[in-house]
Amino acid sequence: MMRMVALRLLLTLPILLGVSIVAFVLMRALPGDFAQASAGTTTISPEALDQLRRNLGLDRPVWEQYLAWLARALSGDLGTSFATKRPVLGELVPRFMVTAELTLVAGAMALALGGATGLASARLRGRVEWIVRGWNSLLLAVPNFVVATLVVLLFGLYFPTIGIFNYVPFATDPLGNLASMVLPGISLALTVSVTISENTRAAILEVASQDYVMVARAKGLSRGTILRDYLGRNALTPVITVAGLQLAALLGGSILIETIFTIPGMGQYLFDSVTTRDYPAIQGIVLVAATVVLLVNVAVDIAYARVDARVSYD
Amino acid sequence: MIEAFRRPGQRGRTMVAIGLAMLLVLLLVVALGPSIAPYDPTRTSPDSLAGPSAAHLLGTDSIGRDLLSRLIVGGRGTLLITFVAVAMALSAGLVLGLASGYVGGKLDLVVMRVLDVVFAFPVFLLAIAVVAALGPTVRNLVITIAIVYTPTMARVVRGPVLGVKRWDHVEAARSVGVGELSIALRHVLPLVVSPILVQTSLTLANTIFTVTALSFLGLGPPPPDPNWGSMLADARQFMELAPLTVVAPACAIVFASLTFVVLANGLRELLDVGGR
Repeated sequence: MMRMVALRLLLTLPILLGVSIVAFVLMRALPGDFAQASAGTTTISPEALDQLRRNLGLDRPVWEQYLAWLARALSGDLGTSFATKRPVLGELVPRFMVTAELTLVAGAMALALGGATGLASARLRGRVEWIVRGWNSLLLAVPNFVVATLVVLLFGLYFPTIGIFNYVPFATDPLGNLASMVLPGISLALTVSVTISENTRAAILEVASQDYVMVARAKGLSRGTILRDYLGRNALTPVITVAGLQLAALLGGSILIETIFTIPGMGQYLFDSVTTRDYPAIQGIVLVAATVVLLVNVAVDIAYARVDARVSYD
Repeated sequence: MIEAFRRPGQRGRTMVAIGLAMLLVLLLVVALGPSIAPYDPTRTSPDSLAGPSAAHLLGTDSIGRDLLSRLIVGGRGTLLITFVAVAMALSAGLVLGLASGYVGGKLDLVVMRVLDVVFAFPVFLLAIAVVAALGPTVRNLVITIAIVYTPTMARVVRGPVLGVKRWDHVEAARSVGVGELSIALRHVLPLVVSPILVQTSLTLANTIFTVTALSFLGLGPPPPDPNWGSMLADARQFMELAPLTVVAPACAIVFASLTFVVLANGLRELLDVGGR
């Protein structure tokens, strides 16, 4: 087991390195000058600009800049925000926690909704299968920011007394915080539920065709028992895996949802950083998000191998 | 349910037909664009936030511009960006996937590892970062979308190529002296078209999302050119006064992506392409 975990992490290292190169190059390929952008003004004297360039290490070769940047990033120094002049990491961590919560809430909702529709379409077939199919097609076609905007419109028109922009931190009011996550969570979960629904359906159909299910049915076990102990358990593993892999979609979607519902998470931070051209912040967010996605993928792989004895990575 | 839906082949055909009919509407909007718009989409009038009337079929927006005209001309912009970007991603994906899968070996290894890196980024986050770095212009928007969707395309091409290249007819072609490039293009590529068609359709739907979402965040084509995403974002300010200014672009976005989702599902059924 330890061997597998180590191997899997080792295989992820080169990809992480690649991710860091992309994040670095992206922000060095800016039109104009990194130093000028960092000064935040175009009316800066050439001498001051030269000084700034030396301070930022921009006069050194690119690969040297990259290595220095990587070494700092590894020790937790993601640079200083152009906008607030404070370390990016310090700004990022609390916002990341908020986004992580939103992602978990949305993920749970997507799992519940997708699991239910997928199960219904696999077990009931016929008309239900078609209703679920149509519903999924529709969900796939309605982007999350459209859902969120329509939700805001609906509440504005018919329930103007309910405040939907009242984000409260979890520490001050846990219940109020969870309540403020419901609408953003749903907006984010709908699209993702489609993937989970389709995979649940496929997994249930696959398991239902196995011999041991036929045996269970032949020896007269009740439908409920078969569903719970035979179908449910065996179909759950692939579904959970797919759910884990949807993290990237959830993180991407959170940018829009947080901006619409004014939730102070990583997505809104990215949006703000893009509008203020705060390049170190953008770089930090991109790096952290990609790293989290990669690590979660590894965790999902490992969990999958742990649950399913047939999987081996050796 | 309708009886025709029970016959498997018919089902896919019906869905593809519906999808193509919807696509025709979109293509007409792209082709005719400004010539069928009743007004100049950027012309303002004092008649702001008006409801639907004979003069303005869908009403006007917050500075009195005709909503229908903006929807048509904006749709043209959104769809043109989408089509060009997906065409680029498709070409790049075809070349990369075919080369990687058919040639194999070191090339395959390198291409796949590079794509793994791009895959590690959430698509939309990468798109925002790239647009932020390059600057929000139509050209950069197209390039960004082509970049973020190329890996998926390449993967979809590569998978089946790996299997087909071992088939007997490929060996037969090689034994009679057909060149490798010719084998790849004429004996392998035609056999992997089905999953590519399905994926292209899905990517078109995803791209509608990405283009409109970027414009929604103000990272799309600069104003005053209308665009479905920015129309939706701008309308939020007065949406309680004129709900149609929000609902209309929302419906347009959903219609466009639904077109490609329906097409993808129909094609998947018709061409018998596996689950995902």
